Amino acid sequence: MTHSTTRRNFIGTTAVFTLSAGFLPLLAGPALAQDARSILKTAFDNWRARSSHSVTEMLVKRSNGTRKMTLESWTQGDDKALVRFTAPARDAGNATLQLGKSTYVFNPKLNQVIKLPASAMSQSWMGSDFSYDDLSRSEKVINDYTHKMLGTKTAGGHKVHVIESTPKRGVPVVWGKQVLSIRTDGVIYSVEYFDQLGKRVRVMTADRISNLGGRPYPTVMTMRTDAKPGQFTRVTTTQAEFNINVPGYLFTRSNLENPRD
Amino acid sequence: MIAALAWRNIWRQPIRTSLSMVGMAFTSMLLVFMLSFQLGSYDTMKSSMLKISDGYGQFQPEGYKDDPEISKVIPDAIALIADLADIPGITAAAERSNGFVLLANGERSFAAAVIGIDPVREAQISTLSSLVKQGRALTADDSNAIVLGDGLARNLRLDLGDPVTMLGSGMDGSVAADVLTLVGIFKSNVPELDRQIAQMPLDRFKDGFLMDGASNIVAVSGAKLADVELAEPRLRALATKHGVVYLDWAELQPAVKQAIALDLSTAILMYVTLVVVVVFIILNTLYMSVLERTREFGVLLAVGMKPGQIGRMVWMEMIFLSLVGNGIGVALGVIVTGYVQSVGILIEGMDEVYAQWGLPSRIYPDMTPFRVLIGPGAIVAAIAILGVVPYRRVLGLEPVSAMAS
Repeated sequence: MTHSTTRRNFIGTTAVFTLSAGFLPLLAGPALAQDARSILKTAFDNWRARSSHSVTEMLVKRSNGTRKMTLESWTQGDDKALVRFTAPARDAGNATLQLGKSTYVFNPKLNQVIKLPASAMSQSWMGSDFSYDDLSRSEKVINDYTHKMLGTKTAGGHKVHVIESTPKRGVPVVWGKQVLSIRTDGVIYSVEYFDQLGKRVRVMTADRISNLGGRPYPTVMTMRTDAKPGQFTRVTTTQAEFNINVPGYLFTRSNLENPRD
Repeated sequence: MIAALAWRNIWRQPIRTSLSMVGMAFTSMLLVFMLSFQLGSYDTMKSSMLKISDGYGQFQPEGYKDDPEISKVIPDAIALIADLADIPGITAAAERSNGFVLLANGERSFAAAVIGIDPVREAQISTLSSLVKQGRALTADDSNAIVLGDGLARNLRLDLGDPVTMLGSGMDGSVAADVLTLVGIFKSNVPELDRQIAQMPLDRFKDGFLMDGASNIVAVSGAKLADVELAEPRLRALATKHGVVYLDWAELQPAVKQAIALDLSTAILMYVTLVVVVVFIILNTLYMSVLERTREFGVLLAVGMKPGQIGRMVWMEMIFLSLVGNGIGVALGVIVTGYVQSVGILIEGMDEVYAQWGLPSRIYPDMTPFRVLIGPGAIVAAIAILGVVPYRRVLGLEPVSAMAS
């Protein structure tokens, strides 16, 4: 239900923007905002597509050592995602399911599904520099923020749009603002996260962009927290398929608890 | 001889002298009581707040306070505790580990801080185990037991004997999960503790969170907070030796320190006002009496007394008067405060407010030489210094014109 509500809002907003752009072509403001928004929308669509299935390696670097995990993930639309850890043995079987605004975790030792409270969403996900919030982020950043084009620059031999996204009034979000750099071919190049005081907290960068699943894709991405130099989390996507048929039962609590395959 | 003259002079006007003395005595008594009461209640507030959970002082890894990551550990807490045995004033020390976890009961889950404790040593440091209102506190034999704050238990809809699911991150960042049995529910009346804190046995914690034998904190205690404060230089030196930092009470409970500082600053303003008003009233009375006695001083000069001698006599009169008045005040103050100290003061209807600061509803003053003497001492000192005003007036007198006035 939550899903359909956000969808309707999204379509409503798009209609308003399209109308104003059509009837009042001289008012550049909304048109520009729509530009920034559609660039973001394209980028996130490109990243997650209509549906996706991928295998990723996650490397977590800490002062006391490095952990390497392998995870398999499936997404459908903007708001359904399932992540299952497959290696190493200690982490294998742990899984996270994101359904709309709800997030569930499964732990094989407990053999139990736990629904995360809102207060836990900003906590570290599997000891990495990502939070549970990051898993459901794509939809949130598009709808809960207003977007402004800051300009374009050249980075890594590519033209990049720089977009500043500030949260809408009254929307409960973690960040004061985000600055996203999106390549003109729709690949996310970097995301900077700022706190409410405008201080940068962390940054995610695409370290390698290569062709994967028939599209340019940020195959290596690194998240760094500014306050913790020397620590980072690097995710390397090794296999991916996009716009495939993902069975609906995958994104259910019962499948989270008892995988069918 | 001048002292004897001065003493006789102040009793030439017995009523005026008595009134001045009563004024000073009452003020002194009030100061003795108020300072002992106020500073005593601060002591209670500090120590009871610290004793609930923190302890009088803590050893922590560098930077743990601002960013309490489970991977920041004290490598050899056992050796640190062994060294603490040699420090006078420290009566107990215990290691602890802290994890930030999700506690769940079926569909319901809440974020909480779970503390791994050594139940035997912990009982000597914090009172949390004695605040268990339902069930029992952790014991040395417990393995898969957990004790929750009453707010947390209520939010999770848990009863004694129920399984509690715990999900958190271990020291290396991997998932730490456990199922424990709820054996006790504490109620400290400190909302943050009751809603967020859980206790489990330290050994089980270390296994579950892959602590590799290390722990996050060593808490210390003494018979009195003052004993631990006195030992602080040695505690800090020991911290350096073990590569950790020592946190004193103010660093552990900055909110309490701020509340005390705020309360004290308004109180000091009131005390200073009280002292200033009393000093000037007394000074005014005394100066008037010096003016009235101009003719008398003229006669004394004429019969051969030196102006300096007369001046010293007048000055001494003021000091005697303030000493006697404040002496009576101190004596009365000690008697009254001593009585209240033995029975305490019950402040009706403030229980809830006080409980937030760990204060019992009955509050006891606590006299120390400083608290008893600072107020009256300030009055005596001010009068003794300001006695220079009548002294200088006497120095300027001429025998003939003085006698003619």
